[in-house]
Amino acid sequence: MSLRTQHDVLSVEWIKLELIRTAYSTRGGLFAAMDPRAVIGWYLLMAVAPWLTHNLTTLAALFVLGAVAVALARVGPLVLGLFVIGLGFELIYLALAATLFGGDLTTVVALLEVTAKLGVLSLASLAAFVSLDPEKLSDALLALRFPPAVAFAVSYGYRMMPILVEEFATVVEGYRLRQAPPAGRGLLGWRALVHWVLITIRAFYPIFLNTAKSVRTTVEALEARGFTFATIDPRGRAIRIGSLRFGPRDAAVLAVTALAVACCYLVGATWPVYRG
Amino acid sequence: MSGGIPPAGPVIEATALSFRYPGAGSDTLRDVDVRIERGDFVAVVGGNGSGKTTLCKTFNGLVPHYWSGEFAGEVRVGGVDTWESSVAELSSVVGYVYQDFQNQLVRPTVRDEVAFGPVNFGLADHAERTAEALRMVGIEHLADRFVWQLSGGQAHLVALASVLALRPEVVVVDEPVAELDPAAAVEIYERLTDLNRDHGITVVTIEHHAEFVARYARSVLLMSDGAPVWHLPTAQALGRAGELARHGIPAPQVVDGLRRIGVTGVPLSVADAATLVRADQDGGVVRRAAPRADVPDDPAREPDRRAVAVAREVGHGFRDVGGGLRPVIDDLSVTLREGDRVALVGGNGAGKTTLMRLLAGIHVPRVGTVELDGVDTRTQRAGRLSERAAYLAQQPERMFLKASVREDVALFPAGRHVPDVDALVDRILDRVRLTEHADRDGRTLSGGQQRRATLAIGLAMRPALLLLDEPTASLDVSSRDDVIAMLADLAEDIACTVVATHDMHLVAEWATRVLVLDGGRVVADTTPRVLFAEPDVLAPAHLVPPQITQLGLELGLDPLPLTVEEFAAHYAPAPLGALT
Amino acid sequence: MSTTQAPERRGALRGIGSARTSTPQNLMVFVLSMALFGLANILLEIIPDVTIGPVDLSVAYFVFVPLTLAALLNPFWAALGAPLGEIVFTDLLMGDFSGLSELEGFIQMFLAIYVAGSVVRNPRSRPQIWLGALLIVGIDKFLSAVVDLAKVWVGVEDAEYVQGLPQSILLLEGVGFGIDLVISGILFGALPAMWLIPALHGRIEPLLGMRPRVPGEPRPGTVPWAGWFVVVAVLASLLSFVFAFLEAWDVSIGSVEADFRGQYGDTFLWVSVGALVVVLALAAILFSVWRRRRADR
Repeated sequence: MSLRTQHDVLSVEWIKLELIRTAYSTRGGLFAAMDPRAVIGWYLLMAVAPWLTHNLTTLAALFVLGAVAVALARVGPLVLGLFVIGLGFELIYLALAATLFGGDLTTVVALLEVTAKLGVLSLASLAAFVSLDPEKLSDALLALRFPPAVAFAVSYGYRMMPILVEEFATVVEGYRLRQAPPAGRGLLGWRALVHWVLITIRAFYPIFLNTAKSVRTTVEALEARGFTFATIDPRGRAIRIGSLRFGPRDAAVLAVTALAVACCYLVGATWPVYRG
Repeated sequence: MSGGIPPAGPVIEATALSFRYPGAGSDTLRDVDVRIERGDFVAVVGGNGSGKTTLCKTFNGLVPHYWSGEFAGEVRVGGVDTWESSVAELSSVVGYVYQDFQNQLVRPTVRDEVAFGPVNFGLADHAERTAEALRMVGIEHLADRFVWQLSGGQAHLVALASVLALRPEVVVVDEPVAELDPAAAVEIYERLTDLNRDHGITVVTIEHHAEFVARYARSVLLMSDGAPVWHLPTAQALGRAGELARHGIPAPQVVDGLRRIGVTGVPLSVADAATLVRADQDGGVVRRAAPRADVPDDPAREPDRRAVAVAREVGHGFRDVGGGLRPVIDDLSVTLREGDRVALVGGNGAGKTTLMRLLAGIHVPRVGTVELDGVDTRTQRAGRLSERAAYLAQQPERMFLKASVREDVALFPAGRHVPDVDALVDRILDRVRLTEHADRDGRTLSGGQQRRATLAIGLAMRPALLLLDEPTASLDVSSRDDVIAMLADLAEDIACTVVATHDMHLVAEWATRVLVLDGGRVVADTTPRVLFAEPDVLAPAHLVPPQITQLGLELGLDPLPLTVEEFAAHYAPAPLGALT
Repeated sequence: MSTTQAPERRGALRGIGSARTSTPQNLMVFVLSMALFGLANILLEIIPDVTIGPVDLSVAYFVFVPLTLAALLNPFWAALGAPLGEIVFTDLLMGDFSGLSELEGFIQMFLAIYVAGSVVRNPRSRPQIWLGALLIVGIDKFLSAVVDLAKVWVGVEDAEYVQGLPQSILLLEGVGFGIDLVISGILFGALPAMWLIPALHGRIEPLLGMRPRVPGEPRPGTVPWAGWFVVVAVLASLLSFVFAFLEAWDVSIGSVEADFRGQYGDTFLWVSVGALVVVLALAAILFSVWRRRRADR
């Protein structure tokens, strides 16, 4: 048996690191300084644009526009890499399946079209939301008249996640130490797999009860500090979204994007390419 | 709501108040009459189930508006009948800090958290209120921190600031000592005292520890069976030591110590006690006993006892944001031998928990080796090493994996095919006096019972090395003494016990060896008696000796007393005359 | 301790509490559902996915978590909290938020959990728990397959005329559906739920200050929402009609020539606006009907 070493995944420390990364990696980039409502508007503009055409030239131009936005938003290489790989694999699988049913090159081109549309959508969401920290998104949702519970949930998740993961890690560790380990690993390690799956599921029994206990305090405290009151009285909402400012920069970005999208369509109309 | 000049009279007044939770068989509060005067600092004391917390929840309207049950009588807060008011309205009069205050923090950053109340109520001056509340508890420097980066003491102050931001007239704090280390608890009480003195805020705390009651409270409200027994000024209340002890609040050590040696008076602090003793000594009421030769000194430390666990040049750490290593344990070597009762002490972040988990084989060190019973922890899985070392986590409810205490205790031996598991489990449950509660879920037990249940889980693993993380945290005094006594009884089954703790009573009364950790290194490896006499080791590690030991230091007693018995032994009882 | 109490309290009784679930209790179920399903999704995030070719053998979600809360506490609030927990805890905080598709996932999951939770009338009945678990996966995956298909139909011009395209998409979606039903619906849904729901029944409710559910008894608090449920369901199905309509329109026009853009864009707009008006009108009617019914009660 090989020697044990330290693992750094699914520890509380790991989760805290991930959170700090989402919180801090958002500093910088084009969209980080913008009004979150404008960012959401920008995203909608980019998300709708590709669905109004079947012109491949327009789609290609929109794709390039999305890529430029991603670069301006300073999306990290890891996230971007995952996106590209995901897109590529989806295309390959679809093409393989289509060939199986007697398709030809036109099928692949057809698939290219839908993949390009989904690709533009993904690029837009990457650019917009990687640079939007959860707190700002929460305020934007409130401003856009989402229910307060949704806006609250976004920031509450931020707060609760390390606690829940720590709790879960302790419970699983308890099982790991106290439950007898499987006799052997079995074929392809199936015994070990079953052992871990069972532990993970069983861990939810104490987690349900412990979380229920702590949620009771949380909701009492929410009540005492006016959470329900704020859902009736509009003044709290006004203060919270009062910090949001739709400035000239936001207008400029939206205008430039709208212009760029129009250009994409113009380019498409000038040199149209259609499937088949 | 009243504005401007506060109306005269009590800030809280309950009249013939009764309350029963939905579905409960009896009233939790029964015919309660209580008056709390404006500007008072009240300690609410009483045993488990005496209705302390429920009473305090009637002050801010959680009872009956949130917990709807049978509600009779009347509670007036700032002149307003709570039945006619609402939780939201009352929150600007009464602020509530929970015992599990971590769960009341709902926003990611400290500033947001403190501003949460004022913003929800749409108060135009929310920014000033936030800044003011942060200043009042002295945590302006934490304003931009994430809540999950805070230590327990800091988090408690944030919870306090967040209720202060609504400018309440009354602050209720539920058992601040329970979840905090002693230094942080003192800090909280100092802040509460400032608020009470400088801002005229009425403070109500629920408290088990007579030392804190004596030092900070102005009056004491004793609850029993859902009704107040009496409400008296602190000095008078502490004079009724016997009655308090019957309700689970033993007198502070100095009060007890002075009573034993025949000094009259109720000291509220160590300095008070020293003055009283000196006066009576000068007056000839008490006198020192002749130095005794049979001082119960610490057992000789023969180096050749069996080594249960050995750490050699161990280094360990966790990843930080940049992907680098943040060291937690640094080049640490230690040998734990059979018969050792080790207390691991040191401030938060000193590496106590990490060291225990390394010794238990849950983690393996990045550098160096840990040997458990002669086995390198790298060569065996944690699930196997748990047959040699058992680690009991700080929060008991996280150790209750099954639906009953009995199943939890049996989990380990049954899986290992230990012969006659039932008899073993019965014996252990009997030993921790939980036989009658064996079929309940651990979470439904009281704090002391929960600790004893986790101890039972550890005993059923029959380890050579037992490691406990803060086994006396959040216990009232009598449950704590219970657990200490039980730990002292383990010697026949467990070769070596290690306890990580902030509780200096536990160190003084139980440990034979103290390891002081600081910055991941052992800075002192000694006995409690030697440790408590060394202020330059104590201060950096934020350690405060037990009251009775402090009194011994103050009076220059040698050997230093660790318990009230040892203190009393220094004095000859006056009526008996000379002892030679 | 309490047996010696005199029957008479001194104070006048002012209220005995109500049997309905209160707003804070609903909020508790919502937060609990969000936190637990969020946690379950973090765990799944860490488990490596097994994919064999285009077929994904991974666990989609731990269905037993929201099902337990829906069956024991309150299906509406559990259904509302769970998908939000997924979005917040994993997608948003782990930096994987995908905009509009989160919304579509939310609606699917909400409907699935709400319907499945309402089906479980007796938390101790195994067949009902099985049905509930399969319904969650079935409804959610069916709706997402419909949306996926719709995307291809809208996204690709004359999709049905492309050789092999409809078959291959249907095949992939069908295989995925079957696998999800087995892995997420049974292995990580029905089987764990069969153990967990009875184990927690009567234990978790007191922690939240609620009375355990009596089998078969309709829950207060869920009835007024039935109207909303219908509204949402109609909304969702009409949304899919929009896509279907677009497809039909595409077929009837046949091949489109060069000046395609303006025409297509305009018609698309009119169709959408028309559908929206229909949806809003229906929603308004249903809403007022529901309000009147509630007022009658």
